[in-house]
Amino acid sequence: MLEQLLIFTRGGLILWTCKEIGNALKGSPIDTLIRSCLLEERSGEVSFNYGAYTLKWTFHNELGLVFVAVYQKILQLLYVDDLLSIVKQSFSEMYDPKRMRYDDFEETFRQLSVEAEARAEEMKRTKQVAKPLNGVKKQGQVSKEETKKSNGEKKDDGDKVSVLSNGNHKMEDDVANGKENSADNNNNNSVGVDVSKLAKLRSKGVRGRGGLRKADSLGSNKGSSKVVEPPKKATKKNRVWDDAAAAPKQEEEKLDFTDENGDNGHVDVVAAADQGESMMDKEEVFSSDSESEDDDDDEPRSDEKPEAKKKGWFSSVFQSITGKANLERTDLEPALKALKERLMTKNVAEEIAEKLCESVEASLEGKKLASFTRISSTVQGAMEDALIRILTPRRSIDIMRDVHAAKEQRRPYVVVFVGVNGVGKSTNLAKVAYWLQQHKVSVMMAACDTFRSGAVEQLRTHARRLQIPIFEKGYEKDPAVVAKEAIQEATRNGSDVVLVDTAGRMQDNEPLMRALSKLINLNKPDLVLFVGEALVGNDAVDQLSKFNQKLSDLSTSGNTRLIDGILLTKFDTIDDKVGAALSMVYISGAPVMFVGCGQSYTDLKKLNVKAIVKTLLK
Amino acid sequence: MENLEDLKMMAEQWSNQGIEYLQKIPQDQLYAAVGVLLFTTVLLLLSIRLVRRTKSNTVLLSGLSGSGKTVLFYQLRDGSSHQGTVTSMEPNEGTFVLHSENAKKGKVKPVHLVDVPGHSRLRPKLEEFLPQAAAIVFVVDALEFLPNCRAASEYLYDILTNANVVKKKIPVLLCCNKTDKLTAHTKEFIRKQMEKEIEKLRASRSAVSTADIANDYTIGIEGEVFSFSHCCNKVTVAEASGLNGETVQVQDFIREYIKP
Repeated sequence: MLEQLLIFTRGGLILWTCKEIGNALKGSPIDTLIRSCLLEERSGEVSFNYGAYTLKWTFHNELGLVFVAVYQKILQLLYVDDLLSIVKQSFSEMYDPKRMRYDDFEETFRQLSVEAEARAEEMKRTKQVAKPLNGVKKQGQVSKEETKKSNGEKKDDGDKVSVLSNGNHKMEDDVANGKENSADNNNNNSVGVDVSKLAKLRSKGVRGRGGLRKADSLGSNKGSSKVVEPPKKATKKNRVWDDAAAAPKQEEEKLDFTDENGDNGHVDVVAAADQGESMMDKEEVFSSDSESEDDDDDEPRSDEKPEAKKKGWFSSVFQSITGKANLERTDLEPALKALKERLMTKNVAEEIAEKLCESVEASLEGKKLASFTRISSTVQGAMEDALIRILTPRRSIDIMRDVHAAKEQRRPYVVVFVGVNGVGKSTNLAKVAYWLQQHKVSVMMAACDTFRSGAVEQLRTHARRLQIPIFEKGYEKDPAVVAKEAIQEATRNGSDVVLVDTAGRMQDNEPLMRALSKLINLNKPDLVLFVGEALVGNDAVDQLSKFNQKLSDLSTSGNTRLIDGILLTKFDTIDDKVGAALSMVYISGAPVMFVGCGQSYTDLKKLNVKAIVKTLLK
Repeated sequence: MENLEDLKMMAEQWSNQGIEYLQKIPQDQLYAAVGVLLFTTVLLLLSIRLVRRTKSNTVLLSGLSGSGKTVLFYQLRDGSSHQGTVTSMEPNEGTFVLHSENAKKGKVKPVHLVDVPGHSRLRPKLEEFLPQAAAIVFVVDALEFLPNCRAASEYLYDILTNANVVKKKIPVLLCCNKTDKLTAHTKEFIRKQMEKEIEKLRASRSAVSTADIANDYTIGIEGEVFSFSHCCNKVTVAEASGLNGETVQVQDFIREYIKP
């Protein structure tokens, strides 16, 4: 039984809630859904978990309405998607922007829900007949999935927002890694089988209305009761509950990387760095917004090439003039596909581009085209909004303010730099120290990279040049202890900030990740900064999600520390392939706090969101 | 005398010449020319009048997420907040006469009220509406004030230092919402806390650089502790309760700046 079904506008006003089953919901699942899923551009997903509830939703983009159904996670209600879509249809018929109360909808809803339940029962009964045929094959897979699932489920706690939903914006599951057999796909699309087959509560079910979505969609399943665990690929050990389904056919599609738009208009001109001011403090001068007309001229040509159907182009132009058509999925597909490829040529990780396109699709479907606009320009506008939303930080990234706040409390502000090997942690640590020093903040460095040869000497050289104290204990010492002592030293001699350098480590390396998590748990830093290079491609997704996962798994105290911010390095080496910034921010939800754009002390600046978005969509 | 007569004769000659000239031009052209002249003068007058007359009637409702802006919006519009609200994903806009003034007779100018979402990811939306704003209502949650004090003061600081706000001296009302609850703070307390926080922000932001891309202007007077009276635009404080419908102070503020 449903716990609740809500209808509200995108502006926030609740239009209708079901009075019949008006149970008060524990916590605030709807608000959390909006904040951590819909506003994070994950509206392409199937469901969302919060505490003991699972939420499913659908949009009516033309009228700006959102329909959300809440039910207990342990139940596997198969008719929810069906119910949501018919509710959407019937409500939109009676919707009137002036009307605020819709009590008469109660009756209609009751009928609809009864019908939907009946239909689901029907389907289940017919599938039961077909069950034995698939039975044997499923057994093998099921038992494998079962064991993995039970491992994963141990982590779920009752009322806390489940790690899954944390994972929503942090570890966009190894969507990358899990590869699902297409065979699995077909079997799993039949809803009824799973429910009857996997009678245990922990079994993973289907991918909801797999049929509605594109066959190769990567909607990742959040509901523990509805997720199918992909069979493991030999190399990567996929952790648990979330899963994914990157269908293999994606690989072939992305081989074509021809850059359709040849022009490389220059986006921003950064003032030349002089020794004095760090680039953090310089104003960014960027060329006035280039006329979008130019892009529009390029677009029809570039869109035509993949389509190559003259008739299609003509009708879309005609429609754009009349502007009356409601956007359908099939209309959006070509434009979205082109956009996705364009993003991928800009070095955005493949599954991130896919997810973004799905989210944009979900928000545009059913909307009416404004007159004199082409579908591609509407899609472009929506994607631009989505990108700005993602790259805009969720919380303030004013480090100075935090430093001052810590100073008032008479303790040093501790920053830990983590990342994989060779991304530029030590260099950028020195740049940050330089910047802080320029603003009259006393800094201290802590050399907790006790593994790499020459690491301590490197930091010592920087410290000498910048004339700031450094705390080091040589090599082969426990980094966590070194950090602890460094912080104590800083408290003693009154330094405002402590910058802790750690050794680079691969995300798959279990013992090293454990050591890192020990360092963080022991010292409770104020800021955990993940250093990532802008040259990274699809691996960014894996790095960040694994780092976050390990940090949360191995955290001892209740307060889990995850990655708080990102430092993007080697930004000067990429011309306009700035997609790594987007992938990293999307997967982790952490804002980009600094951008390293060179190899001297002054080459550190802030991220310019508008410039990046413009470059990505050029 | 002679001069006068000479002049008179010359004038007559000229007028005769003029009339002959005019009569030589075909009638249609003449009428067409006169018509075009009249038309353009009329157009010119109208446009001048329009340009002078447009004074914006937009009021922005801004503030952190969860402070009660959408409830306030619907209270001002319909007199009730209907069945409740959730976090807004898009702005709510409307041009209407305030609900309590529906009963008033006579011509009341409608107000264009915009409720901008407070979620930090949607912050850029505020910048779209600032240029057309005539007044800003900054809503603060008086109940959960202290945990959000820092974020609220940063947001307010960003608004007060925005180029549009400073140049046009847009008045700001600091509205303390949810005052119907027992543990809500008073407006005086909130005002003092905000001033203190903004003072701290001022110190840290100006320490960063003169060319900080984050803020266009700095506010306050050098060397003195910040107070709202230092702003060049008027900042006032008021109390309200969205759920109960006590929005009198907000309505007065709106009416003060949107002349009926």
